[in-house]
Amino acid sequence: MKALSIGWVNVKRMLRERSNIFFVFIFPIALVVLIGVQFGGDFEPRIGVHQGDDGEISGQIVDALQADASLAVEPFDSEDDVIRQVERGAVLLGVLIPAGMDAIARDGDQVEIGIVNRPDSAGAELQSVVAADVSDVMMAVGAAQFAMSETGASFDEVLGVASDIATGIEEITVEIVTEGEATFPSTLGRFDLGASSELVLFVFLSALAGSSALILTRQLGISTRMLSTPTPMSTIISGEALGRFGPSLAQGIYIMVLTLIMFGVNWGDPVGATLILVALAAVGAGAGMLMGATFSNSQQASGVGIMLALGMAALGGAMYPLDLFSPTMQKIAHLTPHAWALDGYAELVRRGGTTVDILPELGVLAAYAAVLLALASWRLRVALTRS
Amino acid sequence: MRAALRIATKDLKLRLRDRSVVILGVITPLVLSYILSVVFGPVVGGPGLDLRYGFVDQDQSGVSQAFESVLTGAESEGIIELEVYSDRHTAEAALNDGDVDAFFVVPAGLERAIFANQPATIEVSGDVDAPTSTRIAASFAEQFSSGVAASQTAISTTATITGNIPITSDWVQSLSRDPADAATSYRLVDQTAVSRQLDASTYLAAGMAVFFLFFTVQFGVSGLLEEEREGTLSRLLVAPIGRMSVVLGKAILAFVLGVASLVVLVVATTLLMGAEWGAPLGVALLLTAGVLSAVGIMGLVYALARTPEGAGNLGSIIAVILGMLGGSFFPIASSGGFLAALSYLTPHAWFLDGLAQLSSDGPWTAALPAAGAITLFAVVTGALAYALIRRKLAR
Repeated sequence: MKALSIGWVNVKRMLRERSNIFFVFIFPIALVVLIGVQFGGDFEPRIGVHQGDDGEISGQIVDALQADASLAVEPFDSEDDVIRQVERGAVLLGVLIPAGMDAIARDGDQVEIGIVNRPDSAGAELQSVVAADVSDVMMAVGAAQFAMSETGASFDEVLGVASDIATGIEEITVEIVTEGEATFPSTLGRFDLGASSELVLFVFLSALAGSSALILTRQLGISTRMLSTPTPMSTIISGEALGRFGPSLAQGIYIMVLTLIMFGVNWGDPVGATLILVALAAVGAGAGMLMGATFSNSQQASGVGIMLALGMAALGGAMYPLDLFSPTMQKIAHLTPHAWALDGYAELVRRGGTTVDILPELGVLAAYAAVLLALASWRLRVALTRS
Repeated sequence: MRAALRIATKDLKLRLRDRSVVILGVITPLVLSYILSVVFGPVVGGPGLDLRYGFVDQDQSGVSQAFESVLTGAESEGIIELEVYSDRHTAEAALNDGDVDAFFVVPAGLERAIFANQPATIEVSGDVDAPTSTRIAASFAEQFSSGVAASQTAISTTATITGNIPITSDWVQSLSRDPADAATSYRLVDQTAVSRQLDASTYLAAGMAVFFLFFTVQFGVSGLLEEEREGTLSRLLVAPIGRMSVVLGKAILAFVLGVASLVVLVVATTLLMGAEWGAPLGVALLLTAGVLSAVGIMGLVYALARTPEGAGNLGSIIAVILGMLGGSFFPIASSGGFLAALSYLTPHAWFLDGLAQLSSDGPWTAALPAAGAITLFAVVTGALAYALIRRKLAR
């Protein structure tokens, strides 16, 4: 079929373009790796600690932090050093233990331990881990202070008793259970979240970038020449649609297969995952074709294309988890096809759903694709007949 | 030099007529930083994170009620929304309906277990699609658990020393007190304000600005490529002007475009997003150095590329790599020592660092080290580019 040939030529063009080796093949994977390293669950968050003196209590706090297997502790010689490393992001949290803690505690007064945080969300969870470790140590101190005030015994006498008792206390444990699957959230592969987000981002980006190929086709007169052959307009238009669809579908398949092989990413039910990809590539094809038919300047088109692709990815939850959006933002997010595709993948990956479960999402994506492709076909027809 | 300026002016007029400069240099970074700040911003601020929890009390004891009042206290501060359910089934239904992100279950016999120093568990049931909200719920429970253990220790210690157990009803009441109360032995004080860090909006705005700067500056380079392709370059080279005037003219154009787009972005993000760039003189230094380094790097790309298409592609690739490594999208330093060290090979990282030093009302001189480093990039790449292009044009 001629339409298929036109589509295939566009795929070949994409594959031959040398810069695409980077943008289509290397860059997406690099981003998945970076995101997995950055936000993945296994890695040890690093905190910086400055110990104000060699006192017993401050020593115990540092020991407790170092004994905590869920984080890595880096000691620093000054408070300024700790602050600087937090600023740089080399450590995610800074703990400033003041000098003279033993004396303050002995007097029955309150000790102030400084926390230096980063203005991003990683800090909150880390802070609660650090707070728990500090509390374990300060628990004995607080008990000793309480006993001291009640009994008049000396702090040091009481501290020993308190420390012993503290280790024997059965603390209430907190058990996290996830609804939806028998597995805990922490078993979500560290690359899983990043992989589906990047897939959605890049499939759409490729499709919009493909609009410049269509513009070039028009500018070079290739479309006019196609029209002069005994080829119906509808074939040319479906060919160009396939020409946007092919490359972005190829990009999506590449990302899915490579992340599966390299990182063991779980994509859920393969049929469902592929269907979402096909639907998303179709939406992208419609958008790309619409842009290719509307713009005459490929540099303008690529500028707008990047803006739209990145903007919609951000709004649609491909750059930050949708579940953390406010209800208003979630509604806005669902104006984009990205949010629907991500919902589909969440259903498949996190809940182990099948194709039946994602029918609503597929339906919405198909609707987007239909509307965009119809608009784009009309636009392209006008553009071709005018030129 | 005059020839160079003339060429630059001619090109400037040409470029402004073509809207792509405006789109790529101003509109795209502006729109993106706005969207990103809307998406990321509320989360970073703290409250605004949408936390909706359910509570099932199967113990109906002083301890369970103390926990509930800790949670209702957090609700009154606007941190969470709390819904009390009569039993687990209703809570589960609410979770499945998406009414809550997680719910707490305080099991029967909790208080008895605590008094007998027996193991006890509080359960946090979370929606598999809301792992962060679930984690935060767990930390509420963990904090409460620490408070209970601390009180237990205090009571037991006193009892061991005196042989008497102090009044327990007060103790249970005390569990529902705010942990930040003065009666505790310590307080965690947030001293983040002491550090020099860009707030989220400014970081995003600055990251986007410096990222797209390299694309804007590329227009100067692509101008050279177009001239090469259309044959006007060889004609200009034959003209009685210095060989490098043409190149210099393009470099001046790239510089002007870069500065203009950055200035517009700084003003726009300040007005529209509340970004705080810092002392104007310091910002100006950083901007100028940044644009110079971009011109130098892009010039070097052109010098090294063998074909016009190759130059354009290589330029985009370099811009993306530098942007990612330099932390334009997220702070790279936390990815570990090697990448963090590598990031200081990019002007982007120095740019963001310099701005951070200006934050929290830092003096303009605080930007000098960073500006100096960026200028070094500019000088080295610029000199290399000049030498290589000169040789290239000689053939």
